[in-house]
Amino acid sequence: MADIVYGLPETTVGWKKRIRREARVRIDSAADIVVARRQARALATEAGFSICDSTLITTAVSEMSRNILEYAQQGEVTISMLKNGTRSGVKIVVKDCGPGIADISQVMQDGYSSRKGLGIGLPGTKRLMDEFEIRSKVGSGTTVIMKKWNR
Amino acid sequence: MSNLAVAVSFSDRYQSALLDYLTAPEELALLGGYDLGRSALAEGLGLLELATIHSAAVAAALNRPLDDKDRARLWDAQNTFLIEALSPFEMGNRAFQDANTVLKRINDMLEGQAKRIAYALHSEAGQLLASLHIELAEAGRELPPEKTTHLTNIRETLLEIENRLRNLSHELRPPVLDDVGLAAALALLAEGVSSRWGLPVIVTVGLKGDLPAAIENTVYRIAQEALTNVAKHADASRADVRVRQIDRKVVCSIRDDGIGFDDSAGFRKQRPGIGLAEIRERVSALGGVVRLGLNGDRGTNLTIEIPLDT
Repeated sequence: MADIVYGLPETTVGWKKRIRREARVRIDSAADIVVARRQARALATEAGFSICDSTLITTAVSEMSRNILEYAQQGEVTISMLKNGTRSGVKIVVKDCGPGIADISQVMQDGYSSRKGLGIGLPGTKRLMDEFEIRSKVGSGTTVIMKKWNR
Repeated sequence: MSNLAVAVSFSDRYQSALLDYLTAPEELALLGGYDLGRSALAEGLGLLELATIHSAAVAAALNRPLDDKDRARLWDAQNTFLIEALSPFEMGNRAFQDANTVLKRINDMLEGQAKRIAYALHSEAGQLLASLHIELAEAGRELPPEKTTHLTNIRETLLEIENRLRNLSHELRPPVLDDVGLAAALALLAEGVSSRWGLPVIVTVGLKGDLPAAIENTVYRIAQEALTNVAKHADASRADVRVRQIDRKVVCSIRDDGIGFDDSAGFRKQRPGIGLAEIRERVSALGGVVRLGLNGDRGTNLTIEIPLDT
Protein backbone atom coordinates (compact mmCIF):
# COMPACT_ATOMS: atom_id res chain seq x y z
CA MET A 1 0.00 0.00 0.00
CA ALA A 2 1.18 3.48 -0.69
CA ASP A 3 2.62 5.60 2.01
CA ILE A 4 2.10 9.30 1.52
CA VAL A 5 4.59 11.66 3.04
CA TYR A 6 3.53 15.23 3.34
CA GLY A 7 6.25 17.78 3.55
CA LEU A 8 5.89 20.63 6.00
CA PRO A 9 5.45 24.11 4.56
CA GLU A 10 9.08 24.60 3.72
CA THR A 11 11.43 27.49 3.76
CA THR A 12 12.80 29.12 0.65
CA VAL A 13 14.44 26.79 -1.82
CA GLY A 14 16.55 28.78 -4.24
CA TRP A 15 15.95 32.51 -4.12
CA LYS A 16 12.53 32.68 -5.77
CA LYS A 17 10.84 29.35 -5.72
CA ARG A 18 9.26 28.13 -2.56
CA ILE A 19 7.93 24.66 -2.08
CA ARG A 20 4.76 25.05 -0.12
CA ARG A 21 3.47 21.52 -0.03
CA GLU A 22 4.64 18.21 -1.23
CA ALA A 23 3.30 14.69 -1.44
CA ARG A 24 5.39 11.62 -2.05
CA VAL A 25 3.70 8.43 -3.21
CA ARG A 26 5.33 5.05 -3.50
CA ILE A 27 4.25 3.22 -6.63
CA ASP A 28 4.29 -0.56 -6.65
CA SER A 29 0.78 -1.56 -7.58
CA ALA A 30 -2.04 -0.29 -9.77
CA ALA A 31 -3.84 0.96 -6.66
CA ASP A 32 -0.98 3.37 -6.01
CA ILE A 33 -1.70 5.10 -9.30
CA VAL A 34 -5.04 6.15 -7.82
CA VAL A 35 -3.29 7.62 -4.77
CA ALA A 36 -0.75 9.51 -6.90
CA ARG A 37 -3.54 10.84 -9.10
CA ARG A 38 -5.54 12.02 -6.08
CA GLN A 39 -2.52 13.91 -4.73
CA ALA A 40 -1.71 15.42 -8.14
CA ARG A 41 -5.27 16.60 -8.67
CA ALA A 42 -5.48 18.10 -5.18
CA LEU A 43 -2.22 20.02 -5.57
CA ALA A 44 -3.05 21.19 -9.07
CA THR A 45 -6.41 22.47 -7.91
CA GLU A 46 -4.79 24.16 -4.95
CA ALA A 47 -2.26 25.80 -7.27
CA GLY A 48 -5.20 27.35 -9.10
CA PHE A 49 -5.23 25.23 -12.25
CA SER A 50 -8.50 24.94 -14.15
CA ILE A 51 -10.35 21.63 -14.20
CA CYS A 52 -8.94 20.92 -17.69
CA ASP A 53 -5.33 21.62 -16.72
CA SER A 54 -5.72 19.71 -13.45
CA THR A 55 -6.97 16.76 -15.49
CA LEU A 56 -3.96 16.97 -17.82
CA ILE A 57 -1.56 17.10 -14.87
CA THR A 58 -3.31 14.05 -13.41
CA THR A 59 -2.99 12.37 -16.81
CA ALA A 60 0.75 13.04 -16.82
CA VAL A 61 1.05 11.40 -13.39
CA SER A 62 -0.95 8.38 -14.63
CA GLU A 63 1.20 7.90 -17.70
CA MET A 64 4.44 8.11 -15.75
CA SER A 65 3.16 5.83 -12.96
CA ARG A 66 2.09 3.28 -15.55
CA ASN A 67 5.62 3.42 -16.97
CA ILE A 68 7.05 2.67 -13.52
CA LEU A 69 4.85 -0.41 -13.14
CA GLU A 70 5.53 -1.56 -16.67
CA TYR A 71 9.30 -1.12 -16.83
CA ALA A 72 10.63 -0.81 -13.27
CA GLN A 73 7.94 -2.54 -11.15
CA GLN A 74 8.35 0.06 -8.42
CA GLY A 75 9.25 3.67 -7.89
CA GLU A 76 8.13 6.94 -6.43
CA VAL A 77 6.17 10.00 -7.54
CA THR A 78 6.69 13.30 -5.76
CA ILE A 79 4.30 16.12 -6.42
CA SER A 80 4.98 19.60 -5.15
CA MET A 81 3.67 23.07 -5.57
CA LEU A 82 5.80 25.75 -7.20
CA LYS A 83 5.77 29.48 -6.68
CA ASN A 84 7.70 31.92 -8.80
CA GLY A 85 6.75 35.50 -8.09
CA THR A 86 3.05 35.66 -8.83
CA ARG A 87 3.08 32.46 -10.86
CA SER A 88 2.22 29.15 -9.35
CA GLY A 89 2.62 25.68 -10.72
CA VAL A 90 3.28 22.06 -9.94
CA LYS A 91 6.40 19.99 -10.16
CA ILE A 92 6.28 16.23 -10.52
CA VAL A 93 9.31 14.06 -10.01
CA VAL A 94 9.00 10.43 -11.06
CA LYS A 95 11.80 8.19 -9.94
CA ASP A 96 12.53 4.50 -10.30
CA CYS A 97 15.45 2.15 -9.86
CA GLY A 98 14.57 0.12 -12.95
CA PRO A 99 16.72 -0.92 -15.89
CA GLY A 100 17.16 2.67 -17.14
CA ILE A 101 16.94 3.97 -20.69
CA ALA A 102 19.86 3.53 -23.05
CA ASP A 103 18.70 5.95 -25.72
CA ILE A 104 16.41 8.70 -24.45
CA SER A 105 15.86 10.34 -27.83
CA GLN A 106 14.56 7.02 -29.07
CA VAL A 107 11.93 6.60 -26.37
CA MET A 108 10.79 10.20 -26.90
CA GLN A 109 9.63 9.36 -30.42
CA ASP A 110 5.94 8.83 -31.06
CA GLY A 111 5.33 5.21 -31.89
CA TYR A 112 8.27 3.84 -29.97
CA SER A 113 7.42 0.92 -27.63
CA SER A 114 4.01 -0.64 -28.10
CA ARG A 115 1.93 2.54 -28.28
CA LYS A 116 1.45 2.51 -32.06
CA GLY A 117 2.09 6.22 -32.45
CA LEU A 118 -1.04 7.32 -30.62
CA GLY A 119 0.89 10.17 -29.07
CA ILE A 120 0.61 8.86 -25.50
CA GLY A 121 3.33 7.55 -23.18
CA LEU A 122 6.50 9.58 -22.71
CA PRO A 123 6.25 11.89 -25.74
CA GLY A 124 2.54 12.44 -25.07
CA THR A 125 3.21 13.35 -21.45
CA LYS A 126 5.89 15.82 -22.46
CA ARG A 127 3.34 17.69 -24.58
CA LEU A 128 1.05 18.12 -21.56
CA MET A 129 3.70 19.83 -19.46
CA ASP A 130 5.71 23.06 -19.81
CA GLU A 131 9.01 21.57 -18.76
CA PHE A 132 10.08 17.96 -19.09
CA GLU A 133 13.42 16.40 -18.38
CA ILE A 134 14.58 12.78 -18.28
CA ARG A 135 17.69 11.61 -16.55
CA SER A 136 18.54 7.98 -16.86
CA LYS A 137 21.39 5.60 -16.34
CA VAL A 138 21.33 2.05 -17.60
CA GLY A 139 21.30 -0.28 -14.63
CA SER A 140 20.47 2.32 -12.02
CA GLY A 141 17.15 3.84 -12.99
CA THR A 142 15.29 6.78 -14.46
CA THR A 143 14.11 10.12 -13.12
CA VAL A 144 11.60 12.31 -14.93
CA ILE A 145 11.22 15.88 -13.74
CA MET A 146 8.32 17.85 -15.13
CA LYS A 147 6.66 21.17 -14.39
CA LYS A 148 3.57 22.95 -15.43
CA TRP A 149 2.89 26.62 -14.77
CA ASN A 150 -0.48 28.18 -14.25
CA ARG A 151 -1.15 31.04 -16.64
CA MET B 1 -14.06 -7.82 -33.17
CA SER B 2 -16.03 -5.55 -35.47
CA ASN B 3 -16.08 -1.84 -34.74
CA LEU B 4 -19.74 -2.08 -33.77
CA ALA B 5 -19.08 -4.86 -31.30
CA VAL B 6 -16.22 -2.88 -29.80
CA ALA B 7 -18.48 0.16 -29.51
CA VAL B 8 -21.28 -1.82 -27.86
CA SER B 9 -19.14 -3.48 -25.20
CA PHE B 10 -17.27 -0.21 -24.74
CA SER B 11 -20.54 1.61 -24.28
CA ASP B 12 -21.57 -0.82 -21.50
CA ARG B 13 -18.25 -0.42 -19.75
CA TYR B 14 -18.45 3.36 -20.08
CA GLN B 15 -21.95 3.50 -18.67
CA SER B 16 -21.06 1.43 -15.63
CA ALA B 17 -17.85 3.42 -15.02
CA LEU B 18 -19.78 6.69 -15.17
CA LEU B 19 -22.39 5.30 -12.77
CA ASP B 20 -19.59 4.26 -10.40
CA TYR B 21 -18.30 7.82 -10.41
CA LEU B 22 -21.73 9.38 -9.95
CA THR B 23 -22.42 7.08 -7.01
CA ALA B 24 -19.03 7.60 -5.37
CA PRO B 25 -17.16 10.55 -6.93
CA GLU B 26 -13.67 9.33 -6.16
CA GLU B 27 -10.32 9.15 -7.88
CA LEU B 28 -10.57 5.41 -8.54
CA ALA B 29 -13.68 5.92 -10.64
CA LEU B 30 -12.02 8.81 -12.53
CA LEU B 31 -9.08 6.56 -13.31
CA GLY B 32 -11.69 4.24 -14.81
CA GLY B 33 -12.82 7.06 -17.10
CA TYR B 34 -9.26 7.83 -18.08
CA ASP B 35 -8.50 4.16 -18.80
CA LEU B 36 -11.62 3.92 -20.95
CA GLY B 37 -10.55 6.98 -22.94
CA ARG B 38 -7.13 5.45 -23.36
CA SER B 39 -8.46 2.15 -24.64
CA ALA B 40 -10.92 4.01 -26.91
CA LEU B 41 -7.92 5.73 -28.48
CA ALA B 42 -6.02 2.45 -28.78
CA GLU B 43 -8.98 0.58 -30.26
CA GLY B 44 -9.55 3.31 -32.83
CA LEU B 45 -12.89 4.44 -31.49
CA GLY B 46 -13.62 7.93 -32.81
CA LEU B 47 -14.01 11.06 -30.73
CA LEU B 48 -17.59 11.50 -31.93
CA GLU B 49 -18.43 7.92 -31.00
CA LEU B 50 -17.02 8.55 -27.54
CA ALA B 51 -19.09 11.74 -27.20
CA THR B 52 -22.22 9.85 -28.27
CA ILE B 53 -21.51 7.05 -25.81
CA HIS B 54 -21.03 9.63 -23.06
CA SER B 55 -24.32 11.37 -23.86
CA ALA B 56 -26.18 8.06 -23.80
CA ALA B 57 -24.58 7.15 -20.47
CA VAL B 58 -25.57 10.54 -18.98
CA ALA B 59 -29.12 10.15 -20.31
CA ALA B 60 -29.32 6.72 -18.66
CA ALA B 61 -28.05 8.17 -15.38
CA LEU B 62 -30.63 10.97 -15.50
CA ASN B 63 -33.42 8.52 -16.18
CA ARG B 64 -34.38 7.96 -12.55
CA PRO B 65 -36.04 10.05 -9.83
CA LEU B 66 -33.63 12.81 -8.79
CA ASP B 67 -34.09 16.01 -6.83
CA ASP B 68 -32.62 19.32 -8.05
CA LYS B 69 -29.56 19.04 -5.85
CA ASP B 70 -28.76 15.55 -7.13
CA ARG B 71 -29.30 16.75 -10.66
CA ALA B 72 -26.82 19.64 -10.23
CA ARG B 73 -24.25 17.34 -8.64
CA LEU B 74 -24.69 14.82 -11.40
CA TRP B 75 -24.18 17.53 -13.99
CA ASP B 76 -20.83 18.61 -12.54
CA ALA B 77 -19.71 15.04 -12.06
CA GLN B 78 -20.46 13.94 -15.62
CA ASN B 79 -18.40 16.89 -16.86
CA THR B 80 -15.39 15.90 -14.74
CA PHE B 81 -15.74 12.33 -15.96
CA LEU B 82 -15.98 13.35 -19.62
CA ILE B 83 -12.84 15.52 -19.42
CA GLU B 84 -11.05 12.58 -17.87
CA ALA B 85 -12.10 10.24 -20.69
CA LEU B 86 -11.09 12.82 -23.31
CA SER B 87 -7.69 13.53 -21.83
CA PRO B 88 -5.89 10.74 -23.80
CA PHE B 89 -7.39 12.20 -26.97
CA GLU B 90 -5.93 15.58 -25.99
CA MET B 91 -2.50 13.93 -25.96
CA GLY B 92 -3.19 12.41 -29.37
CA ASN B 93 -4.35 15.75 -30.70
CA ARG B 94 -1.21 17.52 -29.53
CA ALA B 95 0.90 14.81 -31.16
CA PHE B 96 -0.98 15.42 -34.40
CA GLN B 97 -0.32 19.17 -34.24
CA ASP B 98 3.37 18.56 -33.61
CA ALA B 99 3.51 16.15 -36.54
CA ASN B 100 1.94 18.82 -38.75
CA THR B 101 4.57 21.36 -37.78
CA VAL B 102 7.27 18.86 -38.67
CA LEU B 103 5.62 18.12 -42.02
CA LYS B 104 5.45 21.82 -42.78
CA ARG B 105 9.13 22.18 -42.02
CA ILE B 106 10.00 19.23 -44.27
CA ASN B 107 7.82 20.71 -46.99
CA ASP B 108 9.66 24.05 -46.77
CA MET B 109 12.98 22.26 -46.86
CA LEU B 110 12.02 20.27 -49.96
CA GLU B 111 10.75 23.44 -51.62
CA GLY B 112 14.09 25.15 -50.94
CA GLN B 113 15.92 22.13 -52.32
CA ALA B 114 13.78 22.10 -55.46
CA LYS B 115 14.54 25.78 -55.93
CA ARG B 116 18.28 25.20 -55.70
CA ILE B 117 18.21 22.20 -58.03
CA ALA B 118 16.05 24.11 -60.50
CA TYR B 119 18.57 26.94 -60.47
CA ALA B 120 21.52 24.58 -60.92
CA LEU B 121 19.83 22.89 -63.87
CA HIS B 122 18.67 26.09 -65.47
CA SER B 123 21.62 28.40 -65.04
CA GLU B 124 24.71 26.42 -64.23
CA ALA B 125 24.20 23.38 -66.43
CA GLY B 126 22.72 25.65 -69.11
CA GLN B 127 25.85 27.80 -69.21
CA LEU B 128 28.15 24.79 -69.37
CA LEU B 129 26.19 23.40 -72.29
CA ALA B 130 26.29 26.77 -74.05
CA SER B 131 30.08 26.88 -73.79
CA LEU B 132 30.20 23.34 -75.14
CA HIS B 133 28.30 24.55 -78.20
CA ILE B 134 30.92 27.22 -78.81
CA GLU B 135 33.75 24.68 -78.43
CA LEU B 136 32.04 22.35 -80.88
CA ALA B 137 31.62 25.11 -83.42
CA GLU B 138 35.34 25.91 -83.11
CA ALA B 139 36.27 22.26 -83.53
CA GLY B 140 34.00 22.03 -86.56
CA ARG B 141 35.81 24.84 -88.29
CA GLU B 142 39.11 22.92 -88.14
CA LEU B 143 37.65 19.79 -89.72
CA PRO B 144 37.18 19.04 -93.42
CA PRO B 145 33.51 19.45 -94.43
CA GLU B 146 32.96 15.68 -95.04
CA LYS B 147 33.79 14.90 -91.41
CA THR B 148 31.32 17.31 -89.73
CA THR B 149 28.23 15.04 -89.85
CA HIS B 150 29.33 13.45 -86.63
CA LEU B 151 29.60 16.86 -84.97
CA THR B 152 26.15 17.85 -86.21
CA ASN B 153 24.73 14.76 -84.52
CA ILE B 154 26.48 15.64 -81.29
CA ARG B 155 25.12 19.17 -81.49
CA GLU B 156 21.58 17.88 -81.94
CA THR B 157 21.90 15.60 -78.96
CA LEU B 158 23.19 18.55 -76.94
CA LEU B 159 20.17 20.64 -77.91
CA GLU B 160 17.92 17.80 -76.81
CA ILE B 161 19.72 17.60 -73.45
CA GLU B 162 19.33 21.35 -73.00
CA ASN B 163 15.65 21.06 -73.72
CA ARG B 164 15.14 18.30 -71.22
CA LEU B 165 17.08 20.11 -68.53
CA ARG B 166 15.05 23.26 -69.11
CA ASN B 167 11.78 21.33 -68.80
CA LEU B 168 12.99 19.57 -65.69
CA SER B 169 14.07 22.83 -64.09
CA HIS B 170 10.75 24.40 -65.00
CA GLU B 171 8.89 21.48 -63.47
CA LEU B 172 10.76 21.90 -60.20
CA ARG B 173 10.22 25.64 -60.03
CA PRO B 174 9.44 28.03 -62.86
CA PRO B 175 12.63 30.17 -63.08
CA VAL B 176 10.49 33.12 -64.10
CA LEU B 177 9.29 33.36 -60.48
CA ASP B 178 12.80 34.07 -59.28
CA ASP B 179 13.62 36.26 -62.26
CA VAL B 180 10.69 38.68 -62.19
CA GLY B 181 8.44 37.77 -59.21
CA LEU B 182 4.91 36.35 -59.05
CA ALA B 183 2.96 39.32 -60.48
CA ALA B 184 5.13 39.68 -63.58
CA ALA B 185 5.32 35.91 -63.99
CA LEU B 186 1.52 35.69 -64.05
CA ALA B 187 1.38 38.56 -66.55
CA LEU B 188 3.82 36.69 -68.81
CA LEU B 189 1.76 33.54 -68.40
CA ALA B 190 -1.38 35.48 -69.43
CA GLU B 191 0.42 36.88 -72.48
CA GLY B 192 1.44 33.38 -73.50
CA VAL B 193 -2.10 32.02 -73.15
CA SER B 194 -3.49 34.99 -75.10
CA SER B 195 -1.10 34.57 -78.00
CA ARG B 196 -1.20 30.76 -78.07
CA TRP B 197 -4.95 30.26 -77.66
CA GLY B 198 -6.42 33.64 -78.51
CA LEU B 199 -7.97 33.91 -75.06
CA PRO B 200 -7.65 37.34 -73.42
CA VAL B 201 -6.55 36.98 -69.79
CA ILE B 202 -6.60 39.81 -67.28
CA VAL B 203 -4.30 39.49 -64.27
CA THR B 204 -4.76 41.53 -61.08
CA VAL B 205 -2.33 41.05 -58.21
CA GLY B 206 -2.70 42.88 -54.89
CA LEU B 207 -0.22 41.64 -52.30
CA LYS B 208 1.54 43.15 -49.32
CA GLY B 209 5.09 42.04 -49.97
CA ASP B 210 6.62 38.80 -51.18
CA LEU B 211 4.98 35.44 -50.53
CA PRO B 212 6.81 32.34 -49.28
CA ALA B 213 8.39 30.44 -52.16
CA ALA B 214 6.09 27.43 -51.73
CA ILE B 215 2.94 29.55 -51.99
CA GLU B 216 4.21 31.49 -55.03
CA ASN B 217 5.02 28.22 -56.72
CA THR B 218 1.59 26.76 -56.00
CA VAL B 219 -0.33 29.87 -57.10
CA TYR B 220 1.66 30.03 -60.35
CA ARG B 221 1.20 26.32 -61.09
CA ILE B 222 -2.51 26.42 -60.44
CA ALA B 223 -3.01 29.53 -62.56
CA GLN B 224 -1.08 27.79 -65.32
CA GLU B 225 -3.10 24.59 -65.05
CA ALA B 226 -6.44 26.38 -64.76
CA LEU B 227 -5.81 28.80 -67.66
CA THR B 228 -4.73 25.96 -69.94
CA ASN B 229 -7.96 24.18 -69.08
CA VAL B 230 -10.08 27.26 -69.68
CA ALA B 231 -8.38 27.80 -73.03
CA LYS B 232 -8.76 24.17 -74.12
CA HIS B 233 -12.18 23.23 -72.84
CA ALA B 234 -14.28 26.14 -71.54
CA ASP B 235 -15.13 27.90 -74.81
CA ALA B 236 -14.69 31.20 -72.97
CA SER B 237 -14.21 34.70 -74.41
CA ARG B 238 -12.10 35.91 -71.50
CA ALA B 239 -10.54 34.84 -68.22
CA ASP B 240 -9.56 36.69 -65.07
CA VAL B 241 -6.82 35.80 -62.64
CA ARG B 242 -6.95 37.63 -59.33
CA VAL B 243 -4.46 37.18 -56.52
CA ARG B 244 -4.93 39.13 -53.32
CA GLN B 245 -4.17 39.00 -49.65
CA ILE B 246 -7.11 39.02 -47.26
CA ASP B 247 -6.02 39.18 -43.61
CA ARG B 248 -3.47 36.41 -43.26
CA LYS B 249 -4.62 34.48 -46.31
CA VAL B 250 -3.64 34.47 -49.96
CA VAL B 251 -6.72 34.19 -52.15
CA CYS B 252 -6.37 33.36 -55.83
CA SER B 253 -9.33 33.08 -58.14
CA ILE B 254 -9.47 32.11 -61.79
CA ARG B 255 -12.77 32.95 -63.48
CA ASP B 256 -14.01 32.50 -67.00
CA ASP B 257 -17.23 33.15 -68.90
CA GLY B 258 -17.29 29.78 -70.68
CA ILE B 259 -19.66 26.84 -70.68
CA GLY B 260 -19.20 26.10 -66.97
CA PHE B 261 -19.72 22.56 -65.83
CA ASP B 262 -22.58 20.30 -65.03
CA ASP B 263 -22.80 20.03 -61.28
CA SER B 264 -24.58 16.69 -61.29
CA ALA B 265 -22.34 15.11 -63.90
CA GLY B 266 -19.23 16.29 -62.08
CA PHE B 267 -16.36 18.22 -63.46
CA ARG B 268 -14.53 15.56 -65.35
CA LYS B 269 -17.22 14.91 -67.91
CA GLN B 270 -17.32 18.43 -69.27
CA ARG B 271 -13.71 19.39 -68.88
CA PRO B 272 -11.20 16.59 -69.08
CA GLY B 273 -7.67 17.06 -67.81
CA ILE B 274 -8.44 19.74 -65.30
CA GLY B 275 -6.13 18.12 -62.79
CA LEU B 276 -8.43 19.25 -60.02
CA ALA B 277 -7.20 16.43 -57.81
CA GLU B 278 -3.64 17.67 -58.20
CA ILE B 279 -4.72 21.24 -57.48
CA ARG B 280 -6.43 20.12 -54.28
CA GLU B 281 -3.37 18.14 -53.27
CA ARG B 282 -1.03 21.08 -53.78
CA VAL B 283 -3.28 23.46 -51.88
CA SER B 284 -4.01 21.16 -48.98
CA ALA B 285 -0.29 20.48 -48.56
CA LEU B 286 -0.10 24.17 -47.62
CA GLY B 287 -3.13 23.97 -45.33
CA GLY B 288 -5.42 25.72 -47.80
CA VAL B 289 -8.79 25.03 -49.42
CA VAL B 290 -10.07 24.87 -53.00
CA ARG B 291 -13.54 25.98 -54.08
CA LEU B 292 -14.95 25.29 -57.49
CA GLY B 293 -18.20 26.97 -58.44
CA LEU B 294 -20.30 28.20 -61.31
CA ASN B 295 -19.80 31.84 -62.12
CA GLY B 296 -23.37 33.16 -62.19
CA ASP B 297 -25.15 31.79 -65.25
CA ARG B 298 -22.05 31.61 -67.38
CA GLY B 299 -18.58 30.33 -66.62
CA THR B 300 -16.57 28.76 -63.86
CA ASN B 301 -14.89 30.17 -60.78
CA LEU B 302 -11.98 28.37 -59.17
CA THR B 303 -10.85 29.89 -55.89
CA ILE B 304 -8.00 28.77 -53.68
CA GLU B 305 -7.21 30.10 -50.24
CA ILE B 306 -3.87 29.49 -48.57
CA PRO B 307 -3.11 30.61 -45.01
CA LEU B 308 0.11 32.59 -44.56
CA ASP B 309 0.83 31.58 -40.99
CA THR B 310 0.90 27.81 -40.90
